[in-house]
Amino acid sequence: MILSLLIFLPLIGALVVALLPDNQHIPFKWLTLGVAMAELLLSVVAYTQFDQQQAGYQLLEQADWITLPLGNLGVVSIDYLLGVDGISLPLVVLSSVILLIGVLSSWTIENRQKAYFSLYLLLSGTIMGCFVALDFFLFFLFFEFMLLPMYFLIGLWGGPRREYASIKFFLYTLLGSVLILLVMIGLYLSVMDPVSTAVMAGLATDAASVDQDLIRLVQAQLADMHISSSQIVHTFDLRYMADGGNYLPNAFLSGAGETTFWGIPARMIAFWAVFLGFAIKLPIVPLHTWLPDAHVEAPTPVSVVLAGVLLKIGGYGFIRIAWGLFPDGGAQYAQTLAGLGVLSIVYGGLNALAQNDLKKMIAYSSVSHMGFVLLGVASLTSEGINGAIYQMVSHGVLSAMLFLIVGVIYDRTHDRRIDSYRGLLQVMPHYAVLTAVAFFGSLGLPGFSGFVGELFTLMGGFQSLWLPGWLPSVAVSGIVLAAAYLLWSLQRMFFGPLWTRDGVESTLTDLNGRERLMLIPLGLLALLLGLLPNVLFNLSNATVAQWLEKFNV
Amino acid sequence: MKPIEIVFYVLTGITLLSAITVVTARNPIHSVLALIATFFCLSGHYILMNAQFLAAVNIIVYAGAIMVLFLFTIMFLNLRREDEESKTNLTKMAAVVVGGILMVTMLLVFRAVQLPAVNEGNFDARTGLVEQLGIMLYSDYLLPFELASVLLLVAMVGAVMLGKREAGDRHF
Amino acid sequence: MLPIILLSVFGIVLLFMGFLKSKVLLLPATLVFILAALATTFMDWGKTYLYFQNMLLTNNLAILFTTIVLLSAFMVVALSNSFIEDEQAQPAEYYALLLFSLVGAIMMISFENLIMLFVGVEILSVAMYVLAGSDKHSPRSNEAALKYFLMGAFATGIMLFGIALLYGATGTFVVSGIKSYVYTNAYGVSLLLYMGIILLLIGMLFKVSAAPFHFWTPDVYDGTPGLFTAFMSTVVKTAGFAALFRVLSVSFVGVYSFWWGTLAALTCLTLLIGNVTAVYQTSFKRMMAYSSISHAGYLLIGLTALGTQTKQALVFYSLAYSLATISAFGVLLVVSRQRQDTNGVNENFDAFNGLARQNPLLGFVMAVSMLSLAGIPLTAGFWGKFMIFTTAADKGIYWILVFAVLMSTVGIYYYFRVIIAMYFREGAAEPVKVAPFYRYVLIAATILTLVLGLAPGLLEGLV
Repeated sequence: MILSLLIFLPLIGALVVALLPDNQHIPFKWLTLGVAMAELLLSVVAYTQFDQQQAGYQLLEQADWITLPLGNLGVVSIDYLLGVDGISLPLVVLSSVILLIGVLSSWTIENRQKAYFSLYLLLSGTIMGCFVALDFFLFFLFFEFMLLPMYFLIGLWGGPRREYASIKFFLYTLLGSVLILLVMIGLYLSVMDPVSTAVMAGLATDAASVDQDLIRLVQAQLADMHISSSQIVHTFDLRYMADGGNYLPNAFLSGAGETTFWGIPARMIAFWAVFLGFAIKLPIVPLHTWLPDAHVEAPTPVSVVLAGVLLKIGGYGFIRIAWGLFPDGGAQYAQTLAGLGVLSIVYGGLNALAQNDLKKMIAYSSVSHMGFVLLGVASLTSEGINGAIYQMVSHGVLSAMLFLIVGVIYDRTHDRRIDSYRGLLQVMPHYAVLTAVAFFGSLGLPGFSGFVGELFTLMGGFQSLWLPGWLPSVAVSGIVLAAAYLLWSLQRMFFGPLWTRDGVESTLTDLNGRERLMLIPLGLLALLLGLLPNVLFNLSNATVAQWLEKFNV
Repeated sequence: MKPIEIVFYVLTGITLLSAITVVTARNPIHSVLALIATFFCLSGHYILMNAQFLAAVNIIVYAGAIMVLFLFTIMFLNLRREDEESKTNLTKMAAVVVGGILMVTMLLVFRAVQLPAVNEGNFDARTGLVEQLGIMLYSDYLLPFELASVLLLVAMVGAVMLGKREAGDRHF
Repeated sequence: MLPIILLSVFGIVLLFMGFLKSKVLLLPATLVFILAALATTFMDWGKTYLYFQNMLLTNNLAILFTTIVLLSAFMVVALSNSFIEDEQAQPAEYYALLLFSLVGAIMMISFENLIMLFVGVEILSVAMYVLAGSDKHSPRSNEAALKYFLMGAFATGIMLFGIALLYGATGTFVVSGIKSYVYTNAYGVSLLLYMGIILLLIGMLFKVSAAPFHFWTPDVYDGTPGLFTAFMSTVVKTAGFAALFRVLSVSFVGVYSFWWGTLAALTCLTLLIGNVTAVYQTSFKRMMAYSSISHAGYLLIGLTALGTQTKQALVFYSLAYSLATISAFGVLLVVSRQRQDTNGVNENFDAFNGLARQNPLLGFVMAVSMLSLAGIPLTAGFWGKFMIFTTAADKGIYWILVFAVLMSTVGIYYYFRVIIAMYFREGAAEPVKVAPFYRYVLIAATILTLVLGLAPGLLEGLV
């Protein structure tokens, strides 16, 4: 029930906001804030109800949604299936925090509030849906539908080049999602639902009486082709898709890899297709070019949500779908994939170093930091995966903070160039302190969350049996680069005598209450996660250990 | 060669020649005249196939009524040669290639196909005569025959609609 | 059978009603007539009937296609309200022609004898030639009519030739008769049959504007008055695909290996030309013409991968496509009329600038329609594409699937241009006026699109 509420509360909120008359006196922002706080509360409740020792999916909810007969292919049954495990729960909690901060940051939106908050709530609902959906189709629907509110949020409230940035964002991500769609159809044709199949084949009387032994029996019979194709029930259930025993022998994406294109097994092609789909979202160099554009044009709260939450769906997709459903692909190409991660780290860092636009610099630093996620996942070690999850959460908090910091200065002067400012410390001391916290957290200072995430992914990289040692060594340079570009801009903007390019010193006022309310909790969270990393590791460890069993060959 | 075959080949030759003239003639009047000749030859083919009624209808309707209308229209419009829109060489090439391929395919198909010959023993000599045709049209093919009247009605309504004089229109 | 008779009679009744002084009755009468035809269509539901010595065959599939066609016609006619008034032309004739053309469409949907197919195609086409030229004072409309007529007549000629060759090969015009010929001569079908298939396909593909027989489409769609373009791009296409499906799935399924490769190549060509050319259009109406070509491509995928669920996919896709197209044209009609530029009606993308702010409803209707055409989830169009794609996946034709998916990404770009114009650009200050009834039709189409997007299982088990 909790997970459904997490999805539907914002969706209903969006509907309510959309249906309310467009009136100045209606406090759309308070309504949205209320929903966002309820969301945070719900996710905390979900966190407390979650049993951290257990590895499997918890808080499951299931209902039939769409059944569509497709002739030979049997029936497409798309279930409304929700659940969380140690991989998705941290991201759910993170999303609710960031989305709440995003509402606060949206407080200054004056233009077309009704449409804005309606879209914002719609976006919140679809994001939650993405993280808790366990049916591939349901996930896909949320994944793709999420693009629309984001598209409008950038396109309507964005900067001068918003049309270009929003359509670029949309086309890039959509290209990724159609690749995922293709693989999804292929997977659907190749996977059976062992429970329903058992019922269909007469091995069980009803679904409730099917236990693990019976499932194993059904899988054995399937492998021996004792089950006729008319009795096989196909499924989109990610839990079944992740179990190699459920793949039909000789099917398009079955494990043995009979189907090949140009000598490459179809499974490997499918792996790369899903990988690309999520790599665009993460983003991984060279598919990252939409990100700086989108960030530069997006209004501050949208940037916060984009960097804080949306990118994480890419990493989540890696763990849950790309690697989760195609472990053979992840293992076979581990080096290439980790190489791409390292490329992102270094390329993103170098680009960030070259930027003069503060927001663009942070956008590129996101590319660099998300490269660690890929490196961690590709390492296929407990440290690496846990580190990747940790890095996602940490980056969510820190990048949200960084974009808010850009927003603060941009709100005051409408100028984001680093070299337009000097000596801000003198007029904005609180701002300077919080900026320093965010920058130091981001560059991996011990004690902050960024350090733990990067440390663990690098440790994973060094320990990994699949990766050569030089790859993580090169990745370490990403940390150095981060220190360089962050400290350099900190020094240029905040130290020295007070000076601004346009002589707008008078507009520079220190943080107001609302801005403190956004920045201080995030800073504390980054500190807390850095000091007590076990809060998060305890959550993800059991699940990750079970997840890794697939790779023990 | 049987006499009927000689008639067939002569008729076919004239048909093809006049049909080619329709397309190649520079003067539209010549085109129309050649088209009339083509229709007559086609009627000859119908007669060879024992379809006298069709042959007669073909001459009355096409060669008679429609072609006369055609001639009228062309004389009214007073088409001149230089009005012709010239096609680019690329279009011509493409047309030749596509048409040529279609023709070659058809020729190959027709050469390869052996159609069953008419069994002269039990051939019903009345096939294709007006009586047989009438029976067919009013029994098996009653529905399309009746619905063809809808087609004619549509054409008529359309012609009236497009041709009707409206306020502000000037014809001639 | 009954709808054919009824619509023919109603058409004549409408012609006579044209003599009446008052023209108010014409529109409601036409709507009632179409509804009556729709109601009688369902009398045969669940049964399979052969009429008039194997001339017509009605089954559930034919009824569903007929329903789509009649529904589209109903909506187009319902949108015609304001249009007819200021054309000061002959509304009775327009409506009569529309009803007659529906007779042709239903014949194309439920034919069992190729003669019926031919007569149906002719009735539909001739009515369309006339309607294309119905704006007599516009040179573009005249051009459209003439182009459509000349090329269409040529295409029907080729089709007739094909039918004759099929008769020569099989000795029958009956669809199922050809099927049994193919099965009894499985190892040595006459070459004439192949030739006949090719020519018949050329004729039919012309009607549904598949590449490379699409050259008429942009000019004709562009020149034809918008209302009739909507009719053309929904009714003609649906009927054409119903006819193609019947002839391919019944008669020629035995020689699938002969035609599928050709059809697959044409499918890809259609998708490529439709989608890529649409990107470069400045006129919304021309973009819709190319988009209709590209949708013909998606529908052709279903035929290329002919299988058991092809019919369901085709029905769903045609319905989704028709709904979206009609609402798009509905919005275009009012907008282009009321936001004129120097050249008269403005059918370019910039006519939609700022529409969403002045007319949130029209903006929303248009946005949903574009999203559905683009195949974004939770709209009917997504499920249509999904079903079409699964047919290809089921048949194992993955390369066509990959190609189609890439092309649908291209599609997003030009469909979103309208959304960009409506939502992101500043436009005229005064809102566009929309008549209440007009609004209801648009809302109904939009709601249907969304409902089918949320619960595509509604059509479950009908086919």
